[in-house]
Amino acid sequence: MSTILTVSNISKAYKKNNIHALSKLSFECVKGEIVSVVGSSGSGKSTLLKLIAGLEIPDSGQIILNDNVVNGESIFVQPENRNCDLVFQDFSLFPNMTINDNIYFGKNAPDNKSMIGELISLTHISDILSRYPHQISGGQQQRVALVRALANKPSLLLMDEPLSHLDSALKESVRGELISILKTLEITVLIVTHDAEDALTMSDKTVVLNQGTLEQFDTPKNVYKYPNSEYAANLFGMTNIIPLKLLPDSNYFFNQSSTGQDVISVRPHQIILDHGKKSTSLPEFICQVKNIYDNGRRCKIELEYKGLLLVAEIENDNLLNIGETKSFYIRLN
Amino acid sequence: MELLALKSKLFRKYLYKEILFKLNRWTISSLFIGFLIFLPIGLVILHIGSFTANWRHITDTVLITYSINSIVLVLATVLFSCVFGISSAWVVTNYKFPGHKIFRWALVLPLAIPTYIAAYAYFDILDLFNPFLIWLRSSFGLNTMQLANDMLVYLMTALIMGSVLYPYVYLLARASFESQGGHFINVGRSLGHSGKSIFWKVVLPLSRPAIVAGISLVAMETLSDYGAVKHFGIQTFTYGIFRTWLGMGDLTSALRLAVILLGFTLSILYLEKKIRSGARYGDKSTKSLSYKRNYLKGKKYIFALTVCILPFTFGFIIPVSRMLYWAWLSKNYLIELNIFQLTFNTLTIALLASISTVVLSILLGFSSKYFKSSIVQSSNRFASLGYSTPGAVIAMGALILVGYVSSAFNIIISGTMLLLIFAYIVRFLAVAYQPIISGFEKNCDELNDASKTLGVSPVYSLVKINLPLIKNTLIAAGLLVFIDATKELPLTLILRPFNYETLATATFDLSNQAQIIESSIPSLFIIFLTVIPIIYLNRRIGEGR
Repeated sequence: MSTILTVSNISKAYKKNNIHALSKLSFECVKGEIVSVVGSSGSGKSTLLKLIAGLEIPDSGQIILNDNVVNGESIFVQPENRNCDLVFQDFSLFPNMTINDNIYFGKNAPDNKSMIGELISLTHISDILSRYPHQISGGQQQRVALVRALANKPSLLLMDEPLSHLDSALKESVRGELISILKTLEITVLIVTHDAEDALTMSDKTVVLNQGTLEQFDTPKNVYKYPNSEYAANLFGMTNIIPLKLLPDSNYFFNQSSTGQDVISVRPHQIILDHGKKSTSLPEFICQVKNIYDNGRRCKIELEYKGLLLVAEIENDNLLNIGETKSFYIRLN
Repeated sequence: MELLALKSKLFRKYLYKEILFKLNRWTISSLFIGFLIFLPIGLVILHIGSFTANWRHITDTVLITYSINSIVLVLATVLFSCVFGISSAWVVTNYKFPGHKIFRWALVLPLAIPTYIAAYAYFDILDLFNPFLIWLRSSFGLNTMQLANDMLVYLMTALIMGSVLYPYVYLLARASFESQGGHFINVGRSLGHSGKSIFWKVVLPLSRPAIVAGISLVAMETLSDYGAVKHFGIQTFTYGIFRTWLGMGDLTSALRLAVILLGFTLSILYLEKKIRSGARYGDKSTKSLSYKRNYLKGKKYIFALTVCILPFTFGFIIPVSRMLYWAWLSKNYLIELNIFQLTFNTLTIALLASISTVVLSILLGFSSKYFKSSIVQSSNRFASLGYSTPGAVIAMGALILVGYVSSAFNIIISGTMLLLIFAYIVRFLAVAYQPIISGFEKNCDELNDASKTLGVSPVYSLVKINLPLIKNTLIAAGLLVFIDATKELPLTLILRPFNYETLATATFDLSNQAQIIESSIPSLFIIFLTVIPIIYLNRRIGEGR
């Protein structure tokens, strides 16, 4: 597989606020891959997209796109010459143009009429082509922005929080459509998102950014299961940070920077209630139930084990009471 | 040695990032145009070092007088403008009473009247005080009367100028009261405060930046006025420049005075920026919210009506009525004056100035925003200095520039339309540039990024996205320049082509020859030409609310 994008030691600081948006960041994107970039607010995700698109100039480092250096010490390729389209968070559809004009706005779009036709039918927007952006829904705007970018046949598609404007019901369906379109076209995509679910369901690889530095670069599944820091673990949802000494059999651990000890990230669903028919050799945790939060089918419980607070998520049919002591075990992997 | 290497590395990075990577046809042309527009002001500043024998005489005799007179006149005019502008803005935005909708737009109309025309309209105002002055002389002696007379001259000039310049404060205060007031008035009321208490404790401090911006415009207009101060004989800097140059024939000393005047206006700008920068509490996210306006009746209604009627009457009704009456008296003079030629000349020059200023502002604004070039941004800031520079100073700078160009290329530009239009561009660039750049900023910033990544050229982006999205702003910017250019006097007086008369110069010449009654005809034409765009713009601001 050939490499489409190489980001090498990229740094960017904003003088105005004296903030280091990115610091010596490096990673690669292979052709046809969907790579997600996750991180908390201010971690440098959007800055990274702008640098790759050529909308900002890095302070140092190199960006190679399609084997061409587009950013270097004395090289800067203008955004219009990079063949790398960006789908903005708010979609940035041109309000004075119809949907059709928006789609055909790109430099290469007029040459790709048949592909655009297919994209229009694939995204179900053929009946809104004569409307203006303010006359269509958020989900439709999202699809139009995607088609407009793809119509230009970019070698790399950049997407900035593409689903953040959608409500949860719409988000589910649009996410599904998006994955199917991107996979059908076999296009290389870099998606910035703060939603772990987006990263888990959509991408082949994940770049975890923390205050402008690379925290982890791996498959989203690995980042979820085997985060290499507390920060990466927390990004992918609620987790329990448990000292390694309590689970000595674990092959996986990382060093917790605040305490200096080796720890493991254990997701709430990995903590299992022992119903008394113990069929495992895993160590037993006798915990006191501190709180129960009913989520419907499942419930979240807060447990205390020798001063350590744990959160577990179990089936709601377990009749637990606050204050009682129960036995739990942790299923690794 | 290591430090030197590090510095040179940093400089190299800056050079590439901020300059070389962003150099292209657009930014280079913008830098060149920005430089050219700033050049007349720059050349005046360069003359700070030149001396003549007259300068000593000026510093010994009149410099202090010019300074004190200018400061006193500015302060008094600002005071009147604030009293008229803020009180009327508060009344029309916060209360309902019969006529409040009419006053909302009518209070802007005095903007159509240039200060010199207002001065001519009130040419005999001081006569009203003759009985009082005679009484003073008989009771307290000649010196007391003289002192009272001097004070009355200042007071009346400031009142007259304040009554036509207050719309700057009124417009900005009104916009601020309406945009952020609504939200906080609701909060204040829910916390049990009265309208009066909310005004002093919340709305006025919140609107300080807008009011300060209005005040600085009033101050700069007052400083650059020539017609009104000449009429009432107040020796300000602008008056001094004309007297030193045309009366004493000493261009060098006039230039030095111009530099000091420029220093005054730049200090006002600095002060404004300083005051406004400390007041970053404008809540941008707060859109104009509706709030219940109290309906005024009885004494309160009469008070509100007075607050609106006073400035409108002083600033518009009285001058226009007198002009109309005088025009009727001198109607036979209409043909002799060749009023249609004067109107045609004024329209030609104002339209050419508006179009060229808007076109250049588009180029400068687009280059700065599209390419995010900090050096173009800085160059544009310098190019915009003309609006805070008195017309007389720009005219002198333009003449120096013409001198250099003529001797270098052996061509004559002085006394041509080209030079006059250029000087208008220098003077009014900021008037068009400011709304255009905020139009780009508000509507086009992210869309330009989108168009860049879609691979289209800057020209295509400009034509297909930017210009259609800000077309209303472009019309407004053009009209603003048109209004200012129609009223402009000192710059036109100095730079107009030989025998080329505009309505403004004709008004000035006639009043200078003590033909105030006859000067009402061109004055009315100026008012008529500017009042229409003012009404249009005012309506647009109302709709945009």
